[in-house]
Amino acid sequence: MNDITKLKFLVVDDFSTMRRIVRGLLKEMGVVNIDEAEDGTVALAMLKSKEFDFVVSDINMPKMNGFELLKAIKAEPALRHLPVLMVTAEARKEDIVLAVQSGAAGYIVKPFSKATLEDKLLKIMLKRAAAG
Amino acid sequence: MLLHHSSSPVNETSTAHSAASPEVFQQLGQITRQLHDTLNHLGVMSKLRQSAVGLPDARSRLSYIAMKTGEAADKVLNAVELAKQEHHGIMVTTKRLAATLAADPRQASSDDVIDFVAQVEAATGRIDLHLTDIMMAQDFHDLTGQVVAKVVALAIDLEDSLVKLLVQAAPSELAVEGASAELNGPVVNSEGRTDVVSNQSEVDDLLASMGF
Repeated sequence: MNDITKLKFLVVDDFSTMRRIVRGLLKEMGVVNIDEAEDGTVALAMLKSKEFDFVVSDINMPKMNGFELLKAIKAEPALRHLPVLMVTAEARKEDIVLAVQSGAAGYIVKPFSKATLEDKLLKIMLKRAAAG
Repeated sequence: MLLHHSSSPVNETSTAHSAASPEVFQQLGQITRQLHDTLNHLGVMSKLRQSAVGLPDARSRLSYIAMKTGEAADKVLNAVELAKQEHHGIMVTTKRLAATLAADPRQASSDDVIDFVAQVEAATGRIDLHLTDIMMAQDFHDLTGQVVAKVVALAIDLEDSLVKLLVQAAPSELAVEGASAELNGPVVNSEGRTDVVSNQSEVDDLLASMGF
């Protein structure tokens, strides 16, 4: 995991605008393989049926929220290796702590910049490459 | 909201309480009139009416806000995508001409240069139109801002009135601070709050303090 352009991303957010923004930023970083899901349920089904390298997920979503999706991913042996970056408007410290304790690879609060997203993604990739 | 309660105990106790209290009915009538007047006022504002023909009542104006902001976001993103395509085209053409000039300036004919200039001129004209579209898409702010201000004023008035009513009608043991286990969404005002972060660097500091 050292070339971001080769990774397959799943962007999960109930707002199509935000999915488009994240997709646009990833495309500017050279990422080609980007899929989208509008909530945790759809995301989980996609993760089980298709191979992904990275999940970028909102928290506050209908049906299955980001915390529930994160827990479901970490509970699934075939998926638990996937890094999940939370990108959310939830700014309570307890939510951030809960996300990390649940296995999130990073946490970004909205509104955010392209530089922040790029920085977090690269740090996660470096950390995972170092861990082998 | 200062007061939080389960519905059934309040209904039972306040029924008995309000039966002996005509002021409660009077205040309830006042709130209903206030709500009616404000909703009517929302419905007749001429500028908003022009922009939202067909929306039947004030409640649907909230859907109107969601619709207008969604449309504006899509319009902007579409224009950005188109402008970026034009920009990419200019970049490719420029690189090609620059490479030709660098390899052998005599190979680049005046026709090549004239074609290049014409392409850039046309593309920048189209980009300018996309930028204008982006600018115009921001008009939603004026319209929705007014609706939001009215709805907020209505909510504040109603909350004040309802709090007064509950303080008057509910037994004191039911007057407890509300606490929500729900997700809160964006923090509108983080001033004076220690339970939330207000920017990404505070998130990073918190994560660093956890050894993350």
